[in-house]
Amino acid sequence: MSLVEARDITLSARIGDMSVEVLRNVSFTLEAGETLGLVGESGAGKSMIGRLFSQLLPPGFAVSAGELIFDGENLITMSQTKRRRLLGKRIAFVPQEPMTALNPVLSIGSQFNEHLKRLGVRGGRARRDLAIKILSEVHLPEPELLLGKYPHQLSGGMCQRALIALAFAGDPVLVVADEPTTALDVMTQARIMALIAEMQQLHGTAMILITHDLRLAAHVCDKILVMYAGDVVERSGARDLLADPRHPYTRSLKRANPTISGPRMRLPTLPDQMPGLVEFSNLSGCRFSPRCPVNADACRAGVPAMLEIGPGHDVLCVPACASGERDISEVEAPPAPGGNGTDAPLVELKNVSRRFVTRGKWFANATTVDAVNDVSFAIGQGEFIGIVGESGSGKTTVARMIAGLDQPTEGQILVRGKDARLQTAEAKAERLETLQMIFQDPQSALNPRRMVESLLTQAMEADHRNHDAEERGGRAVDLLREIGLPGDSRRRYPSQLSGGQRQRVNIGRAICIAPKVLVADEIVSGLDVSVQAQILNLLLRLREELDISLLLISHDLSVVRYICSRVFVMHKGCVVESGPTEQVFADPQHAYTRTLLSAVPPDDADSPWPPLFSESEADVVRAF
Amino acid sequence: MNALAWRIRRLPAPLRSGRVLIGGGIVLAVTVIAIFAPWLAPNDPQEQDLFGNIMPPAWDPLGDPKYPFGTDNLGRCILSQLIYGARVAMVVAVVASTGAMVIGVTLAHIAGYFGGWIDGLITRLVDLWMSFPPVVLSLILMLGLGVGVSNVILAIILVDWTRFCRVVRSDVLVVRQRDYISAAQLLGFGHFRTLRREVLPSVMPLIITLMALEMGIAVVVEAILSFVGLSVEADVSAWGVMVADARQYMYQSVWGLILPIAAITVTVMGFNLLGDGLRRTLDPRLRQERHAQA
Repeated sequence: MSLVEARDITLSARIGDMSVEVLRNVSFTLEAGETLGLVGESGAGKSMIGRLFSQLLPPGFAVSAGELIFDGENLITMSQTKRRRLLGKRIAFVPQEPMTALNPVLSIGSQFNEHLKRLGVRGGRARRDLAIKILSEVHLPEPELLLGKYPHQLSGGMCQRALIALAFAGDPVLVVADEPTTALDVMTQARIMALIAEMQQLHGTAMILITHDLRLAAHVCDKILVMYAGDVVERSGARDLLADPRHPYTRSLKRANPTISGPRMRLPTLPDQMPGLVEFSNLSGCRFSPRCPVNADACRAGVPAMLEIGPGHDVLCVPACASGERDISEVEAPPAPGGNGTDAPLVELKNVSRRFVTRGKWFANATTVDAVNDVSFAIGQGEFIGIVGESGSGKTTVARMIAGLDQPTEGQILVRGKDARLQTAEAKAERLETLQMIFQDPQSALNPRRMVESLLTQAMEADHRNHDAEERGGRAVDLLREIGLPGDSRRRYPSQLSGGQRQRVNIGRAICIAPKVLVADEIVSGLDVSVQAQILNLLLRLREELDISLLLISHDLSVVRYICSRVFVMHKGCVVESGPTEQVFADPQHAYTRTLLSAVPPDDADSPWPPLFSESEADVVRAF
Repeated sequence: MNALAWRIRRLPAPLRSGRVLIGGGIVLAVTVIAIFAPWLAPNDPQEQDLFGNIMPPAWDPLGDPKYPFGTDNLGRCILSQLIYGARVAMVVAVVASTGAMVIGVTLAHIAGYFGGWIDGLITRLVDLWMSFPPVVLSLILMLGLGVGVSNVILAIILVDWTRFCRVVRSDVLVVRQRDYISAAQLLGFGHFRTLRREVLPSVMPLIITLMALEMGIAVVVEAILSFVGLSVEADVSAWGVMVADARQYMYQSVWGLILPIAAITVTVMGFNLLGDGLRRTLDPRLRQERHAQA
């Protein structure tokens, strides 16, 4: 008998007067010790499956059909008390946001104490010893000291380690991990995934891993369910799925994510984005059909049946697609935009350093942090440059200094050959027309009280320009076309747009006065892969049409490989390696670049991942 | 019932709250009464009917329909005095809280936006100012400034600007951290334009809420000061003066005391309900929670 068996679960939600099927006919099995991946973009319903185990469903949501059998008992009809006895002990959870999942006002020790008391460990001494034992199992250094610390004194990766320790403390048979590494950077992600695998082996635990990253899932899971708008669209063995995806959505998902090696293919983009819950009821037939690149009439007529196309490989699609006969053709991407190397550089950094000094309080000594240390490079006309590195490497500080939001403590930044510190009105105006910044989080970067039209043309409102409403309206229409938003979004507020649309507005505002250089700080990291592909292709199109240059700050190496011709690898404030992107990624010289590259889940399903880091402990210690 | 619910749903967001509707209704009613006092009042509020002093209201067997709420010890019509008293109350409420708002919000923007030494200076000033008990401070100010409605307004402004300054400053500090402020600077906005176009609209809901609450406070302060005779001249009707006069003959007729107190209470309650309701509907955090539940 399987450990977990889901049989045709349908989850319904009441929205206003409508009833919407949030999950449709979800079925899967999970054996003891196995790992099941749930993959899909936001809104696919994958987290809802995770929540079925705890039955912590949002108000108005209820299972209307099917059963979820855990170890012979139906979790859905089980009584509260009985379920509570299972949760935390036999079924444990690893949450998405480690920093917010721990109680900020309780020490790590008291949170462990409380949890272990609930698990039935008697005696404070015994609980303390056990806590120390499991904290050293997750490779946290000096667990005795750690027990007295509070969550804010720990890094994100350490918090996640502590939470994993808590989850495995009760020796559970099943762990549900909901995006356990999404909030962490690549290096930490690889380490955490390695740790989870190790803990699973140690305890013989089965796991349900919820993630948006198909490649990550393919490397750590045994089986994968691909979800789209509440449907399981493909169900297969993990390696098989990455090597030979059959459903058009799975294929798009795989191809929308740029690769880290091999030929650079042009990212196919799906129109629009995942439909919201309210739109579900308007979708007749296959819910993916409006965005499907194949889209046959049969798809709209009715929901296709689950087709078995191989051992343990099922696809929810029409036979023609599922058999792999029809496919979208792939086009090789043109090389990433580079400069011609002859024009004078638009922006130049000369031995730039930035030192932060925290003034000591009372008798404590002042501490200094070298966020950026002796960085030099130049951006030429039409060139796309990437800076990669993990969090804390100083890449954002570089972006802020170039944009003029921060000043270097040493060295010089030249914009069109003039010192960026010049404060005359003329110099300022020239800088603004040369250089614009796209901010990371459009939620924070767009004033919620302005409409799209006003946001896009905000630059025309500035002190030294005086444009009337008519001119602004005209420019807004042009910009909307440029960034690919429908004309009727002019009169909307940011809160009425989706994440991808907001990021488009964010980009549109920066190109309003046709700058020469865009500085983009992690602008695709918060987006779903299919939306990310849309934005990346938009940037490439802007390069062709407007001949802009781009400095892209990112922790995602594959994104940088797709659009940047040169790359700078930053580590602890220093540039450790730089050069043409293809060359650096294919033949990395510095040890750190190699580590960074190995942390990315490879495209080839058979190469092992996550790697074993020799210095993985050293890094944890450093965080103290 | 359903039709009513539907109509309420079609109203702009702030008006969908019951508190805003009731509070706003009271405030609107008092404002209309104040503006149209000469047409609404049945008698001249200062005209004395020496043969008909301390008359009970019209519904009492001894009452006179000429004076619906009766007369005071000098034979003045209580209803007419109440109606004219609304004028003083509303003028003080509007002018004083606008003045306090302008000073407080301006300093709050300077402090919260620029930070540094200017922020330290303004914050210390507010701390110092708020350490004086407000009633004592206003009484001292009144003694220094002299008697009169305009001085009451001045005193309220000088005492209460700190309420605006302290609360709005903390909101400005939060907005200052948002990326759209940096974005505006990169688009070439000067400080003044950034403040006017980006910061001010974001803190506007808070300012509106504080305004409504401050108006209620101003009504109470004016009533207190006119009760002790520091506000209006003797020939102007004000609710505080009515309470002070009626206090002496309250054993003969209690209406002269109850009615102005009721007027003050209802008006202040109206402002408070309005302010509280606006806070609930305009505060994006509370609004989002309700969205999430919907």
